[in-house]
Order: sequence, then structure tokens, then C-alpha cells
Amino acid sequence: MDGSIFSYGFQYGGMLIEAALIIYVVQSSHRNRPSSVLLYLCCLLASGVARSYTLHRFGYRSTQYSYVYFATDFPLVISALFLVCLFFRRACLHQEKMWRYVRLWLTFICVMVVGISGLFFSHHYGNVLTDFYVEFSQNVYFTCLVLNTLLYLLLQQIDSADDQLGLLVCGVGIQFAGPAATLALLKLTANEIFAQSLNSLVQRICTLGMLLVWAYAIVHVRGKAIQVTRREIPVLAEVTGHLNI
Amino acid sequence: MKNLVLTFLLALLVVLTCVSIRRMVGGNASFAGQKPALVAIGTDPYPPLPPPPPKPTN
Repeated sequence: MDGSIFSYGFQYGGMLIEAALIIYVVQSSHRNRPSSVLLYLCCLLASGVARSYTLHRFGYRSTQYSYVYFATDFPLVISALFLVCLFFRRACLHQEKMWRYVRLWLTFICVMVVGISGLFFSHHYGNVLTDFYVEFSQNVYFTCLVLNTLLYLLLQQIDSADDQLGLLVCGVGIQFAGPAATLALLKLTANEIFAQSLNSLVQRICTLGMLLVWAYAIVHVRGKAIQVTRREIPVLAEVTGHLNI
Repeated sequence: MKNLVLTFLLALLVVLTCVSIRRMVGGNASFAGQKPALVAIGTDPYPPLPPPPPKPTN
């Protein structure tokens, strides 16, 4: 996997899309520019550059690469959680009362995730970098997965007309749900080599899939970014209105 | 006050769901010691798993 053309294709293809999207969003003069997405893309690109440098400097099987890979995963999941919170804010843009509860709810969740990870760390005391960071980032990853699913349900519930947000949320869903599913497969097959390769491949494909969905959402659906709740007019009332005229 | 408690309980439910899913599919995370595979973000190659520890011989 480490030297194949597919590996380089995924790695540099992903970085290329990230850089192109960052440039596009920065140069975009649209007033509803997705700043939250921009922040996350910057984190993705920065971690990609750090990982690529370590990979070429020390090699695929080096301990340094493993450390840098998981150390850069930590800010990535934090920024992903931040991104999902900002998506919640955007979904509740015109519903301030709902946002007050959602904000409090998200705060409770963040505090609890830190608390549970700290509790685990206190019971299995070890190296802060390799144990707490990994434990915390894994918990945050699955929190993002559940929160993103709830956000999607919320968008359906409030019947949001923000098509761009819907696509962005779907992209995040691809990013988080795919690796979680293959991880379950890995567990079921008791760490078989095939499942390990599939897990590694699916993680990269899902990130690439998210970037492609985001690219479509940002480039093609940007004009519909202003959120308005769809107003449903009963057909009968509409017809009688026309008849009166 | 009632809403605050409800919000807290809902947050607790979500966090417990997340942790349960994680324990169910991933087990306890570890990195320097022996670890199962971990979920990660990015298009970079996933680092290889460390070799399993030698089994104690009787």
C-alpha cells in the first residue's frame, strides 16, 4: 500500500482537492461563504502536509510516521466536532429559541466527552500522547458521527431549504460512517488481513468522497445557501385563492 | 430548570450512545501498546499495526 500509485493518488489527490477548495472559498465573494468548512479544510491540508513530509522523511513503517499520523488526527477530530457544532448553528439560524437549547446541549456533550476520556485515562494511566489523545480522539470521532446523524434528522424535521448545508452534512456523514462500519467489520472478522486492508482503504475513500461532495456543494449549490424554511401552501387554498382573483 | 435537566439527560444519552458504539466496534483504544485498528481522518496511508507481543512460553 505504501508505494503504490493508488496510494499516491489518494494522498495527493486529496490534498489537491483540499487546496483547490480552500482557494475557491477564499476567492469567493459570496456573502454566505462557508467559513466553518474553510477552517476544517485548512486543518485537513495542514495535517496532510505534515503526514506527507514524515512519510517521505522516515518511511511508511517508521514509528515517527505512526506518531505524526495519530497526533495530527487529534486536531482533525476537534475541528470536525467544531464543524458539526457550526452546522448546528447554521441549521438553527432563524430559530433562536431552538439554538439556545442546542447550544447548551452541545456544551454538555463536549464536557461529558472530555470527562469520560479523562476517566478512562485515570484508570489506565500511561503516556499522555499515545493513550489520552487516542482515547479522546476516538470518542470525539464517534460523537461527531452521532451528532451528524442527529443534525441530518433535525434538517429533515425542520424541513430546511438550505440545500448546501444538507449536502455538507451528507459529506461529513460519508467521512464518519464508512470507517465506523469497516471498523465493525474488522471486529467481526477478528482483525483479518483483508479487513485491515479494507479498513485502511475505506478511510481514505470516505475522506475523498466527502471532499468531492463538498466540492459539488460549494461550487454548484452555493447560490441556495441562504436558509429559509420551506413554506408549504395547501393546494386547495392556493386554488381557491386563484379562483377568487 | 426542567428544561436544563432534560437537556442534560439528552446530552448524557447521546454521549453514552457514542461511547457504547465505540466500545462495541472498536474496543479500548491504545496506540503504543497493542491496539485494535482505529478510525482516523485523511487521505494519507494508514500506518501499519505494531507487531503482536510475543506469547509467554511455559
